[in-house]
Amino acid sequence: MRLSLFVFAVAALLTGAAAAHHGWGSYDASKPVTVTGQILTSKYENPHATLTVRGEDKVWTVTLAPTSRMTSRGALADMVAVGKTISAYGYPSTVQKDEMRAERITVAGKTIEMR
Amino acid sequence: MTDAAPAIFVALEASALGATIRQSTWLYMVANVGHIVSLVVFAGAVAVMDVRMTGALAATSPGHVLRIARRFAIAAFLGLVVTGAVLFTAEASHVITNPVFQFKLALIALALLNITWFEYFTAPKVKAVPPLTPLPSAARMAGFISIGLWIAVAAAGRTIAYL
Repeated sequence: MRLSLFVFAVAALLTGAAAAHHGWGSYDASKPVTVTGQILTSKYENPHATLTVRGEDKVWTVTLAPTSRMTSRGALADMVAVGKTISAYGYPSTVQKDEMRAERITVAGKTIEMR
Repeated sequence: MTDAAPAIFVALEASALGATIRQSTWLYMVANVGHIVSLVVFAGAVAVMDVRMTGALAATSPGHVLRIARRFAIAAFLGLVVTGAVLFTAEASHVITNPVFQFKLALIALALLNITWFEYFTAPKVKAVPPLTPLPSAARMAGFISIGLWIAVAAAGRTIAYL
């Protein structure tokens, strides 16, 4: 009985954690970068919208938020369309080369939080 | 999209269905929420059966507990499969090559095997056992194996996003 209770307490913890989506663990928050430039490709798709942006140093893959969140915050697909200029503040990936995850983006004078 | 995956999964991800799921503002979200809700119901129903088989709730009729909880478990499992298929289709080529996802599938297969064994060989013996009577050790075993495997499935499922 006591063992069963323990096992289910562990199960409850694990399933509780499942409510969150994939996190920020693989991004280095100690080295924030700001990528400013033209949007080369735009995928307004789940689980996260992604752009490629011609930054000053190189072409970055910029990971944004789930599309439902972006839509509700006013970051619509046409605001991050190909050809638009964007400024994305975020953290470089520790796994994938030239990828960063945006904390916030500024497009057309409007700043929108992604987290 | 990764070409390292078998062609069928690349094609599934590239299909109109895959694109629809990725581009819909609500479909992926609904599947995500539905997967968690199904998981909660499934875990609850399975927990009731497993706890009873491992010897707890001894004053209840094991046959009755199994009969009621089984319905919820089956319904929730179908919910998990449907919502899981939606989430999988959106990123099929990536997910199928993810080692944790492969591990999760193997664990699910083992857990279903455990259920099949239990339903064919053990449940018939347990069904008519009256309350407050010890169950066969095969029932205890099946309960513990089930608990362990489903917890591992849940943990592996959540880990897919991080590997």
